[in-house]
Amino acid sequence: MSPPVILSARGLARHYAGPAGLVRALDGISLDIQAGELVGIFGPSGSGKSTFLMLAGLLETPSAGEVWLAGERVSQPGTDLDRLREVRRQKIGFVFQKANLIPFLTAAENVALSLELVDVAPAPVLAHGCRLLAALDLSHRADSLPARLSGGEQQRVAVARALANSPPLILADEPTAALDSVRGRQVMQLFRRIAASRGTAVAVVTHDTRSADLFDRRVHLEDGRLATRRQE
Amino acid sequence: MNLALKDAAHTPMRFVLTAFGVALLMTAVIGMTGLYRGVVGDALLVIERIDADLWVVQGERAGPFAEGSAVAPDMDRRVAGVPGVADVRRFTQFSQQFAFEGATRRATITGADIPADDGRWLALAAGRWLAAGRCEAVADESTGLAVSDWVELARDVYEIVGSTRHMVDSAGDGLLFVGINDATAIAQKRTSEAIYLARAARGTGEFAGAGSSVAQESKIAAVLVRLAPAADAANVIATIERWGDVRVLTTQQQRDLMLNARLWKLRLQILAFTGLILLITAIVVSLIVYTMTLEKLYEIALLKLIGARESVVATMIGQQAGLIGLIGLAGFLLSIGAAELVFPLFPRRVVILAGDLALLGLALLGLALALICAAAAWIGIARASRVNAREVLA
Repeated sequence: MSPPVILSARGLARHYAGPAGLVRALDGISLDIQAGELVGIFGPSGSGKSTFLMLAGLLETPSAGEVWLAGERVSQPGTDLDRLREVRRQKIGFVFQKANLIPFLTAAENVALSLELVDVAPAPVLAHGCRLLAALDLSHRADSLPARLSGGEQQRVAVARALANSPPLILADEPTAALDSVRGRQVMQLFRRIAASRGTAVAVVTHDTRSADLFDRRVHLEDGRLATRRQE
Repeated sequence: MNLALKDAAHTPMRFVLTAFGVALLMTAVIGMTGLYRGVVGDALLVIERIDADLWVVQGERAGPFAEGSAVAPDMDRRVAGVPGVADVRRFTQFSQQFAFEGATRRATITGADIPADDGRWLALAAGRWLAAGRCEAVADESTGLAVSDWVELARDVYEIVGSTRHMVDSAGDGLLFVGINDATAIAQKRTSEAIYLARAARGTGEFAGAGSSVAQESKIAAVLVRLAPAADAANVIATIERWGDVRVLTTQQQRDLMLNARLWKLRLQILAFTGLILLITAIVVSLIVYTMTLEKLYEIALLKLIGARESVVATMIGQQAGLIGLIGLAGFLLSIGAAELVFPLFPRRVVILAGDLALLGLALLGLALALICAAAAWIGIARASRVNAREVLA
């Protein structure tokens, strides 16, 4: 029996009215990502990768098409984005090019914050944050402020934050762009491990082909459409 | 997790400096209020303490403080004969510059009608009240004179036999008490040439006082009246004013004239400045709360991205505003300490009353600051609600 589909984009399109006419940032993409699957989304600048992430991450509504999460249709044209905040909180973890940690919180607190937002009591939340950091080999940095962490460490804290409330889907936008090749590969290996061990569906938008071997699947976008789909 | 508190702990110096800034502004508010109290207190000092029920002053004038006034040197004897009058004292007051220890000083010479005026109405800081007939003085400490000093006034040398503290006139010049006859002599000091010209004028009947019942060389500004216990003040006033050459003012009228005529513009100016500083404080505090919100727009966007409810963001901004309120309270307490330390060094008396501090604390912190913080937080929350989660990805 194949793993359940976590993210399902069906005929997803996003059009903007530009000065030169209609801009088709995304033009009818359909894509399923299963639980435990690590999918790399590749493509040149302007190919629609980030737009796809916005729509899949429920940060924008599509001009056409639907987004399904864990078997539930959550977004379609006209959906109220504010209402989707709850879904985002429960079901999606985000990792960005920059770690985007809150500068006045320690690493453990940054991780714990995600759980506090879902109304878990502060004490167990912090303990859980420390456990997550330990799982990512960062227990010694739990009490450090972001400014005292290296770029790789910051990104791993960001991954831990994305994992904190055990979302079924993680969306990562160029997570290795600010890291050297060694650190970048470490982060990708981390996603690989998370997908395998937790059954989390992970979609990584990236330009970086150095870790391409770690993906279960690579998806190429071009001019807002799926150009090629390759199964590793 | 109290995000506002975490932020404050992360950058404590910014909050400490904010507290100091608020403290300085509030010190200025306390100072302006205290200066106002001081000016009013100083101006009313003699009026309220000298223990007079009525002031007989020059006719058609509002002397001796709001306007100049001169009454006949024997006016006290005329007033003393009015039924209902218990006792009378002559009074005069004028500014005087004098040299002391090589420096020019200022004082407000106040003539006390010795022995009728026994000085009971003022508290001596050192020495004694005037006893001898001539050439003794009681000086306020602010004149720079101390007991046993000798000072030349007009053509006589006076011994300082007593000193007072915080007894100044409405301009802040220290009071220098001398006998009324000495005060007249000091006021009448003229050059030899002036005396010669005055005599010559009298010889031709063209002296300056022609046409007036008051001798123009009279330096008596007013006659102070204490009424007998059963006396009807209105009757006494009517009797004296029927003479036509004088006007009678009650102590309350003197107070009103001083506050609402002589000091009106000064009071208004001080209150305007106080209002201005309060406004500046309000703007500064509002800006701090708003700026702190703007500084956090990225974090707010991030919180929204990871699914934080609007209430989480609003709570953070509210907590921040509350923290500023607490900083305001700390600033207020600091400002009280600073005021106690600094204002005694100021040239004018700054009166810090517990009632004023309580009112300032209540009005400024309890109400104004709470309103300002609430308004600023509301604006901040409104701004934060417009933040889009996508800004994190921009």
